[in-house]
Amino acid sequence: MKLWKAIVLLNLAVGVGLLIGYLWWGREVARLRQETTRSLQAAVASGEERQWTVRGVVRSVIPEINVLVLTHEEIPGFMPSMTMGFRTATPQLYNGLEVGDRIRFTLKGVPPNVTIVAITREGKS
Amino acid sequence: MTALGLISRWVHLGAGVFLVGTFAFLLLAGRSDRPTALTWERGLLRWTRWAAGLLLLSGLLSLSYQAAVVTGHFGDALSASTMLRLISATQFGTVWLLRHGLLLLLAAVILLREREDSGWDWAAFRGEGILLGATGLGLMAWAGHAAAVEPWGLAATGADALHLLAVGVWLGGLGPLCLLLRMAGQPAGADARPFAVLAARSFSQVAFVAMLTLAATGVWNSWHQVGNFASLAGTRYGRLLLLKLGLLLPIVALAAVNRLRLLPALSGEVDAVGRPAMRRLALFVGIELALGAAILAVVILMASTPPGRHTQPWWPFPSRLTYPPPHELPGTGTRLLIGSQVALVGLLGAVAGWFLGWRRRLVVSVAAAVLLAGLGIALPPLVVEAYPTTYRRSPVPYHAASIADGRHLYTTHCATCHGPAGRGDGPAAGGLPRRSVDLTDPHLAHHTAGDLFWWVTHGIPGSGMPGFGGRLSEGERWDVVNFLRTLSAVARARALSEVVEPARPWLAAPDFTYAVGPGAQRSLKDFRGRRVVLLVLFTLPDSRPRLSELARNYDILQTMGAEVVAVPADRQERIISRLGPAPRILFPVVTEGGSEVAETYFLFRVPPASGTEAPSHVEFLIDRQGYLRARWTLDGKGWTEMTALLAEIQQLNQEETTAPPPEEHVH
Repeated sequence: MKLWKAIVLLNLAVGVGLLIGYLWWGREVARLRQETTRSLQAAVASGEERQWTVRGVVRSVIPEINVLVLTHEEIPGFMPSMTMGFRTATPQLYNGLEVGDRIRFTLKGVPPNVTIVAITREGKS
Repeated sequence: MTALGLISRWVHLGAGVFLVGTFAFLLLAGRSDRPTALTWERGLLRWTRWAAGLLLLSGLLSLSYQAAVVTGHFGDALSASTMLRLISATQFGTVWLLRHGLLLLLAAVILLREREDSGWDWAAFRGEGILLGATGLGLMAWAGHAAAVEPWGLAATGADALHLLAVGVWLGGLGPLCLLLRMAGQPAGADARPFAVLAARSFSQVAFVAMLTLAATGVWNSWHQVGNFASLAGTRYGRLLLLKLGLLLPIVALAAVNRLRLLPALSGEVDAVGRPAMRRLALFVGIELALGAAILAVVILMASTPPGRHTQPWWPFPSRLTYPPPHELPGTGTRLLIGSQVALVGLLGAVAGWFLGWRRRLVVSVAAAVLLAGLGIALPPLVVEAYPTTYRRSPVPYHAASIADGRHLYTTHCATCHGPAGRGDGPAAGGLPRRSVDLTDPHLAHHTAGDLFWWVTHGIPGSGMPGFGGRLSEGERWDVVNFLRTLSAVARARALSEVVEPARPWLAAPDFTYAVGPGAQRSLKDFRGRRVVLLVLFTLPDSRPRLSELARNYDILQTMGAEVVAVPADRQERIISRLGPAPRILFPVVTEGGSEVAETYFLFRVPPASGTEAPSHVEFLIDRQGYLRARWTLDGKGWTEMTALLAEIQQLNQEETTAPPPEEHVH
């Protein structure tokens, strides 16, 4: 075979090889990304009842609507640390609680419908 | 071992450059049927086989050296599993694999070439040599320092690859050129003389373009890796770069002689002019080649040295230039003006004299003397003392925690002489050989943080200022420097008022970290680019009505893109409980980290007029870039009207971001 033909063939082979390699790599990246999103979504939108126990500090008690406003730490897989109101299962739960109390509370329910079902006081803030 | 590793990298780079240059030169020179030219070409092709073998071997050695470097054990240089991991799990490995695949193909093409039957074969073989060699060489950029540049990664890597290719074409072509000129410069090789002359001419054109490319990409790369003059003069990487440039100077000089003098002489009368010129050209090209090889060695050292931008410079000179002049003496401005104008006249005169050519030597030397005289007038007032640490960057961020620590250290060690507020009026100041410095003086801003660090560390001889290098750790000394910078900032902060100056951010807000109860740790920087921060330093019970007012309007404030961060100024413990239930306060009230924030930001209060008490409640507006923009105290009327506060926030909202965010470290 002529030298120049051999070289052209070689280049074609290398080019095709690189292209296939690149395409495979691109698909692999897309696949991994999809997998990550799926597992992230699965954590929240499972539709199952879940339960967390986390710490918080009481910012306000609103008995008229059965709501406790808390600055809480991260609730894993549900929401980051923030200040927000949560409904309580019974009014007895917040009896005697004051603004500034440090508490450990238990949330239960099918996200995003969760309520506080238990509270323990830990101190003051 | 290290030496062996570096040598193998050098051989690898050299062989790659040689292959690219040789194939490019062969293509450039064209075909010839003269016996001498054919001998030359055969010789070169024999050399390319050796080079290809050397390239692969040194590549393998470099990989094993890299394995030892990565793990830190020389034993791993021979460990197959480490090398496998290196190849499969790092960018260096991917690039290595890709490159060596291509280089293996190149070696195969070179070794298996049997004969060239036609012009097509001839061109295809040389073209393939360039293609594979250049790809193999250029890809090196993706395993070097350029690949780590942020955020211009692709541009930096591209520039680096271009740099490598230009080196290949130019430096790699010098060898074949030297050999050809030597052969054709002999009486026996006279048949190839016309071929050699033509080849030298076309190479000269290509090399000129390559040189320009090298200069442009080299400047771009240096700027990314070194960044400033201090790093050039004060780091190992910068000095290697200077060495490289030093080696480049004679090369450029030789290249200029070759191009302007010897190249035209080649076609002169053979025995008297042409042949001697050719031999001399061969000699000069040989010298260029040797210097080029030395540059490649320096480059290998640079590639295994952290870039200057990322290391601390150690300033080698006892002084430096600064502008504006550090000491406002009468007449300095006039002196600068006159000196610079004289220097400008000298410069213009020199350029004009050079190009006009009338009595060139005399005119240019007179003009140069004028230029020097002008610089002699203008520069001395701009010279200030400098120290090895002058251009050091603070490793400790400009952060409330550091400033508060620095303030405590200052009170313990410095206030006796410099005074509690830094005005140089401490109780022990009177007994000193020299008046202690007013640390709030604006001229302090002319000194770098590194200068201050040096003085704190080593003291100032003859002034009574002792060195604290033995008593305070390095971090503590930087804390003191951060506090001193805060003192200057506080002096300038007198200009702040409750009205935002439109589009004029100039005072960096020290960063701080805080938490509310068990909530996540946040820092001021988290709000960059997102929210305007209303930082409220409050004292109970006086501040309670104001906090309730802010709480009532919290919805509106949030809708306007502002976040309120309230920090108790005096007693931190149980602060949320002490605020009480009504009226409700739901914005962040800091329970952790508050004392540092209060200590730092209370420095920025309005300096109280003598006899009045310092305000116990202060509010600051911090814009989205992280600058302090407005300040209000409870005594003033201003933001008592919520609409006035909202108007200032609206002003910040409407601003286009002009200034970049303040730097994380003082300087």
